[in-house]
Amino acid sequence: MVFNSLTFLVFFAVLLVLHRLPFSWTTKKVNLLIASYVFYAAWNPPFILLLWASTIVDWFIARGIYASRDKSRATRRSWLVISVAVNIGFIGFFKYGEFLLQNWQALMASFGIIWVAPEWDIVLPVGISFYTFVTLSYTLDVYLGRLKPIDSFLNYALFVTYFPHLVAGPIVRPTQLVPQFETPKQATRDQMLWGLGLMVLGLFEKVVVADAGLANVADRVFSASGPVGFADAWLGTLAFSGQIFCDFAGYSTIAVGASLCLGFALPDNFRMPYAAIGFSDFWRRWHISLSTWLRDYLYIPLGGNRGSEARTYVNLMLTMLLGGLWHGANWTFVVWGGLHGLYLAAERWIRAKTGVAGDPAGTWNRLALALLTYLLVNITWVFFRAENFGAAARMLAGMFGFAGAAPAVLPTIYMIKAGVIVAGVVTVQWLMRKRELEDVVSRTPWWVTGLVCAAMLFAVIIAQGSGEAFIYFQF
Amino acid sequence: MKHVHEQDEVTVRKIPAMRFVAMGWLVLVIVVAATAAWEWRMRSLGLRAGDLDDSKWHWAVERRRLESGDHDGVVIVGSSRILFDTDLDVWEEMTGRRPLQLALVGTNPRPVLLRLAEESDFSGLVVVGVTPDLYFMDRFSYLPQYGEILDFWRQESPSERVGHRIGLFLSRYIAFLDEAYRLAPLIERVDIPDRTGVRRPYLEVWKLAETSADRQHRLWPRLETDLRLRDHARIAWGPFDGSGPAPKSVESAIADSRRAVETIRARGGDVVFVRAPSAGLYYENEQHFAPRAKTWDPLLAETGAFGIHFEDYPAMQNLEVPEWSHLSRDSATRFTRAYVGVLRERYEELRSGPVAHPVP
Repeated sequence: MVFNSLTFLVFFAVLLVLHRLPFSWTTKKVNLLIASYVFYAAWNPPFILLLWASTIVDWFIARGIYASRDKSRATRRSWLVISVAVNIGFIGFFKYGEFLLQNWQALMASFGIIWVAPEWDIVLPVGISFYTFVTLSYTLDVYLGRLKPIDSFLNYALFVTYFPHLVAGPIVRPTQLVPQFETPKQATRDQMLWGLGLMVLGLFEKVVVADAGLANVADRVFSASGPVGFADAWLGTLAFSGQIFCDFAGYSTIAVGASLCLGFALPDNFRMPYAAIGFSDFWRRWHISLSTWLRDYLYIPLGGNRGSEARTYVNLMLTMLLGGLWHGANWTFVVWGGLHGLYLAAERWIRAKTGVAGDPAGTWNRLALALLTYLLVNITWVFFRAENFGAAARMLAGMFGFAGAAPAVLPTIYMIKAGVIVAGVVTVQWLMRKRELEDVVSRTPWWVTGLVCAAMLFAVIIAQGSGEAFIYFQF
Repeated sequence: MKHVHEQDEVTVRKIPAMRFVAMGWLVLVIVVAATAAWEWRMRSLGLRAGDLDDSKWHWAVERRRLESGDHDGVVIVGSSRILFDTDLDVWEEMTGRRPLQLALVGTNPRPVLLRLAEESDFSGLVVVGVTPDLYFMDRFSYLPQYGEILDFWRQESPSERVGHRIGLFLSRYIAFLDEAYRLAPLIERVDIPDRTGVRRPYLEVWKLAETSADRQHRLWPRLETDLRLRDHARIAWGPFDGSGPAPKSVESAIADSRRAVETIRARGGDVVFVRAPSAGLYYENEQHFAPRAKTWDPLLAETGAFGIHFEDYPAMQNLEVPEWSHLSRDSATRFTRAYVGVLRERYEELRSGPVAHPVP
């Protein structure tokens, strides 16, 4: 079930009523758990078995790890290996099976061995990359001694399955959410209204800006079969940068808002990433729950920056390459991650050589560096969005002025639309760079906030979203 | 337990300090007033509640009826012409059977026909609408929304099915819920000069039809009365004045059709091709790029199927085709009476009983 659907509207209304009825706290949690399974099964019922398997496996393994805390490290590690094998096995089979077979076929062919991979007609279970990371983080936290196993299976299952974060994050940690399930929670009037306001904001980002405003601009440019000129290539890429931000940040904002209406707090997943100055700053602002997951469960276990300088760079690159592959079974995603790894490594090297830490002095310097960061991020989006390297090469050739006399692709109205929206998105992010939405709203007259909220909701209504899936569902 | 990062701590969310209740009422009043005004404006433009919009979800419902056997033994496949130009009520009145309407706007019906032949056990009568520039092309559709529709009816999620039903319910009462009058297409219809070689979104096809239950389409009444809209629709057919189907495409179209006809006949069913009227420049272009002698005639000759071409029947002449491709509502009813009359003469079963082989 997607947030921008009429089905969700009805589902959520029923759930809110149920959650406010005078049931016991346990009953309310059971309602939430069942509702979360319905939310997931409404997409493809059989795949709920995978979710159950992942949930149950990590429940028992975490307990096994904790029970053997006084035994040898090898015993605990063998428990962990089972958890990693099951979770990564699920993702490997459903998400990377075809990719692995195709690459094996190509490798064999390079040795002159003709082998044709069998037809791989497997549907990717929605959200599998997200909920397996959630269950893995639980097991890893127990293994690393950061967490005791959760006492209540109901709390644990709800933590894994809680519908706002289930299919596209934020990738929550047990410490962030489980304690909230331990005592009765009901949203206050202000929490409920603020939650609804956040849902309107998220729907506006998704339905109006991403889908109605930018999606067809990016689609038209990236699907061009011939060379793409300078203006078209840049506008198409900028449009995609706005689309993917508003699509994903919109999802996260709705998730946070929906959860708040039920009385539970979810963490932010985005903090004005296109106002980032440098790439370490960008990754503190973009898909925060994934970047911190990779930091805590991959980069740091690899050694982080505790070893030699060379080892740190290797760890950085490995983390970003795997982070890229997490997004999709295609080498273009690996290159996307690799480029970010290179950017981070270059930034680290420059900071080490110049001794500059933090933001530069002067507004213009900061603005120039933020724009440079944004432009370089856009180069990476080409690989993220392009179907293959040929399409990416065509786009980059256009962006760097090597496309020659390429035919025009975008109609004028699309160019105006993309230019205005992207400029708006980037400007708002720059102005909000060091502010939190809640503080800005607190300082704004209530009727101004009301007018803005009404305008956004009205735009959502007349945009009549057609229930387009969120981009990150495919990951 | 060590707390190093915010991820190690229970999440707490700040709530802004503001007059939430007053703001909530303000939002509610403005949104209700603005939405009511929008609804009024859309109704004044000719939209009406009860126009259900067509979509892949709507098509999937009908396609599943075919699979479950919930039909009267007649299926229509085709492009927009047979969709708009067929009056299902007249069909039912004349034959006692209400066809399943599986024609789709802007698509080539051949893949639908082939799947009907090869992936279903349908053994009734298939009426195939032939729009030459679509039927003989070598792709399914130029419309991205229909790209995966042939498989979608099996894959539609429970959530989408429920959402579709809720959408249909709302559409019965709200006029502005119309794909052609969403915010994005309204913005993109601004008539401004465009770059050389780029087709303006202004020239895309606008709203053409109204849709009611079981996918009964009728030409949107404004196209019969509003000359600006009618002329726009005529201009929008511009892309169809390009080159016609290549000879190889025609050959493969006929080969596909023959295979489908043979398969369906082997099961005891039959296939009839129907060429609905076109007019004006559109008709002239069809005559030039896909002439009857090179498309329609060989199609009938090589499949051995029966065909109804509007040029061959006096009752199908002098029909009104406001925007050159689809009949007005009255003419659609007349055309349906005429072609169903021909079918009744040919198929005894359309007078009573199950459909079977044509009467010799």
